[in-house]
Amino acid sequence: MYLEIISPDKKLYSGEVKSVSLPGSEGSLGILNNHAPLISSLKNGVIKVIDNQQASHTFTIKGGVAEVLKNKIIILAE
Amino acid sequence: MANLKEVRNRIVSVSSTQQITKAMKMVSAAKLRRAQDAVTQMRPYATKLKEILENVSSTLESSEGGNFSAVREVKNVLIVAITSNRGLCGAFNANVVKRATYLAKTEYKNCKVSVLSIGKKADDAFKKTDYGIMGSDMPKKLNELFDQLTFNNVAPVAEKVMEAFAKGQFDKVVLVYNQFKNAAVQILSTEQMLPVQKPAASNSGKKLSIDYIFEPSKEFIVKDLIPKSLKIQLYKALLDSHAAEHGARMTAMHKATDNAGALIKDLKLSYNKARQAAITNEILEIVGGAEALNG
Repeated sequence: MYLEIISPDKKLYSGEVKSVSLPGSEGSLGILNNHAPLISSLKNGVIKVIDNQQASHTFTIKGGVAEVLKNKIIILAE
Repeated sequence: MANLKEVRNRIVSVSSTQQITKAMKMVSAAKLRRAQDAVTQMRPYATKLKEILENVSSTLESSEGGNFSAVREVKNVLIVAITSNRGLCGAFNANVVKRATYLAKTEYKNCKVSVLSIGKKADDAFKKTDYGIMGSDMPKKLNELFDQLTFNNVAPVAEKVMEAFAKGQFDKVVLVYNQFKNAAVQILSTEQMLPVQKPAASNSGKKLSIDYIFEPSKEFIVKDLIPKSLKIQLYKALLDSHAAEHGARMTAMHKATDNAGALIKDLKLSYNKARQAAITNEILEIVGGAEALNG
């Protein structure tokens, strides 16, 4: 699935990934392939991304919102 | 006939001015490119945020937005005037100041008007008026915003404005700034920031068919997103104004360089005329002298 992390200043990440874990405002969320459509707000915390090469990337955010639709995840981070 | 030395001095001074304006034009062109990049970088975020917000709020009928969409009788108005820190950019700053003053005198004639000026030029202009000035309690000096125009620096300013609105200090907040169209054209625009206007329910028809899961709830997400979109609105206005400033300065400096060129051409002409006149005079004197000896 395709992931994009966008901050107001720049694009932080874009590419194919295997799994993403997000700091949802009501607890942590893990997203894998073929997830149902979702819009969730995020609180401050760490986004953990595992890409197709099994390498993991982490991003610390202050808050934001995530949209999951048809294997495309867009995270608006702050 | 103009004095030779005088004309020469003027040519020298005009051409050094031309060099300065040319350099300023080049600097502005480089800065413009960077400012434009920043605008393009921000655009996907703003577009997506608006999309999600429209998506969520179109399925909500009730009073979303909480404190920020409360429409009250307009008694206290805050005008956020965005100008540049430096001059020499044509009518760029004057336009903003003029529009803000015009708004205060017509549309908001019967209200108490306060001004939040971002940029030294607006500061200078409104210091002399008797409108209330907001901004002394800002975490960072507003004029320094343009030195480092990042979202993290702009957000606290928007937060302060939102806080003041929520407390009832102001009933309406409008932005006055130059929108960037292209390097030569700036559009002076007035935008309502608060209270939040409901996003136009356009093209949301087909989006609604997607059955989203909302975490934790629609209301919560909308409440979370509206402050974000307000911050983005201010950030966008600042970025636009920043790009427009450099565009305006570039055009102004281009014109100044052209004018200096025309001036130099005229001066050169009169310099050469004066030089020729002086030479002719000298020859006349010599010939006259020789004639006198022969006679």
